[in-house]
Amino acid sequence: MRGNLLYLDKESSLHQLHPLSKLAFTFFFLICAAALPGLDWLLAAYFFLLLPLAGWGQVTAPFLRSSWAVITPFVISLSLIQGFFTGGETVLFSLGRFAFTFEGWLAGLTVAARILVALGGALLLTLTTRPDALMQALTQRGLPNSLAYIVLSSIQIFPRFQDRAQLILQAQQARGLETGGNLVRRLKLLVPLSGPLILSSIVDVEERAMALEARGFSRPGRKTSLLVLRDSQAQRLLRFVLLLLGLGLITLRVWTLFQ
Amino acid sequence: MISLQDFSYRYPGQQHFALQQLNLEIKAGQFCGFIGANGAGKSTLCYALSGFAPHFFRGEVRGRAWLGKKNISDLSLADLAGEVGLVFQNAFNQISGARFTVRGEIAFGLENLGLARRRIVTRVDEVLALMDLADLADRSPYELSGGQQQRVAIASILAMQPKVLVLDEPVSQLDPHGTQAVFKIIEMISQRGDTTVVLVEHKLEWLAAYADRVIVLDHGRLVMDGTARAVLASADLVKLGIGRTLYSEAADLARNKKLVSAPSHLPVTLNQAQALFQ
Repeated sequence: MRGNLLYLDKESSLHQLHPLSKLAFTFFFLICAAALPGLDWLLAAYFFLLLPLAGWGQVTAPFLRSSWAVITPFVISLSLIQGFFTGGETVLFSLGRFAFTFEGWLAGLTVAARILVALGGALLLTLTTRPDALMQALTQRGLPNSLAYIVLSSIQIFPRFQDRAQLILQAQQARGLETGGNLVRRLKLLVPLSGPLILSSIVDVEERAMALEARGFSRPGRKTSLLVLRDSQAQRLLRFVLLLLGLGLITLRVWTLFQ
Repeated sequence: MISLQDFSYRYPGQQHFALQQLNLEIKAGQFCGFIGANGAGKSTLCYALSGFAPHFFRGEVRGRAWLGKKNISDLSLADLAGEVGLVFQNAFNQISGARFTVRGEIAFGLENLGLARRRIVTRVDEVLALMDLADLADRSPYELSGGQQQRVAIASILAMQPKVLVLDEPVSQLDPHGTQAVFKIIEMISQRGDTTVVLVEHKLEWLAAYADRVIVLDHGRLVMDGTARAVLASADLVKLGIGRTLYSEAADLARNKKLVSAPSHLPVTLNQAQALFQ
């Protein structure tokens, strides 16, 4: 149950929510990220909604770690670009002909905060939801089984491809392939590495397809599942309220734009 | 249980038939070993018995292959899943990747069959206990050793309770420890008596000890068929490129050096060899 998954196995009530409820939160925060008017509102959404939710799910530390790791480069680059190129009254400092304005800096921070809120909503879902539970919830709502399979198997099989690529690299090094050097030489390396990787993977696909057939994957008719997803009237209400709030935010945003 | 009548099969785009006019009957509950040199058609036979030839590979079929009273060519792979279980060499490729735990992986086939959850739970628990996998039930199948993965692959097929279990060299990529564990399990399944076992295997000593019957294929044809002792002690096996058991080799060597008197049958199991040398 480990490997490359972001998911953290905890016993919190957030973990036990139906995957669709958590997905509703994610979409709600996506709308928040796009529709909230300014930096103050966005930061409020992050600190007073997302962070308490992460705390409820017992994932505060990894939530903060991941969100700041992703957002820091955005904060720096967006501040610099917007600060110098968006005009404004208040000049904070100048580099030759270029002036860094407070208004521009604020605009940059606002864009970064929008990314932060959207990212937070996605993190909340991935940290507390098993991918197979989410896919099961979606297939029960009509997502094709094959699509769910592609998502789930890619999550698991991709790291094995990395292992295999490493193995091929070592095998080629053992035969005297130079792996150092400048960019052009490194690019040329892709040929002896990707050839065997792609070919061996294609060979695997046939066996993998047979293994799936042997397990009745293409069998028509209803499928059942070992995993039990608990839903409740309260959660259905919650999803409905989140939907209404989201729609309300969009309407408000559109309305203020036309004012 | 299984019966082939003048059965021939040709892969698409190939000139020659990989299997040629096979006539064969395997009774329910029998443990049947198949041996042959490379390219003799052993894997193709496994695919024919499990319906992958022709339903997966296409190609041309002549003659009939019966599973009970049904013609395998008339069934679909979906019908056959759960009736005939196929296990092959590469354990890693048999892990579906659709589930994150060993328990989920074993349940995957049953979910596809649409079994009620209560029955899935019982069957998975049964198989976990049977295959000695209970300790690994909540681990990811990708984090296991090759031998453990192959046990999960067999468990996943076994949970579907197939009437026929077809194993195509299931231990060829395993270390001696993993090999031992997998063979023990095959032996146990066969001894329960309700599953017909078809096993393609190079390890002749092992077939000699456990298979009811051994069939030899050569260039797609059936050339020998009999009890394990009769077939494996035959001098023709070497000519067919299959070789002999270590016990036969040792007995042959001892006979040439006049250490033992010429036996009527070469020994093929440890017990038989012991009897001869004492």
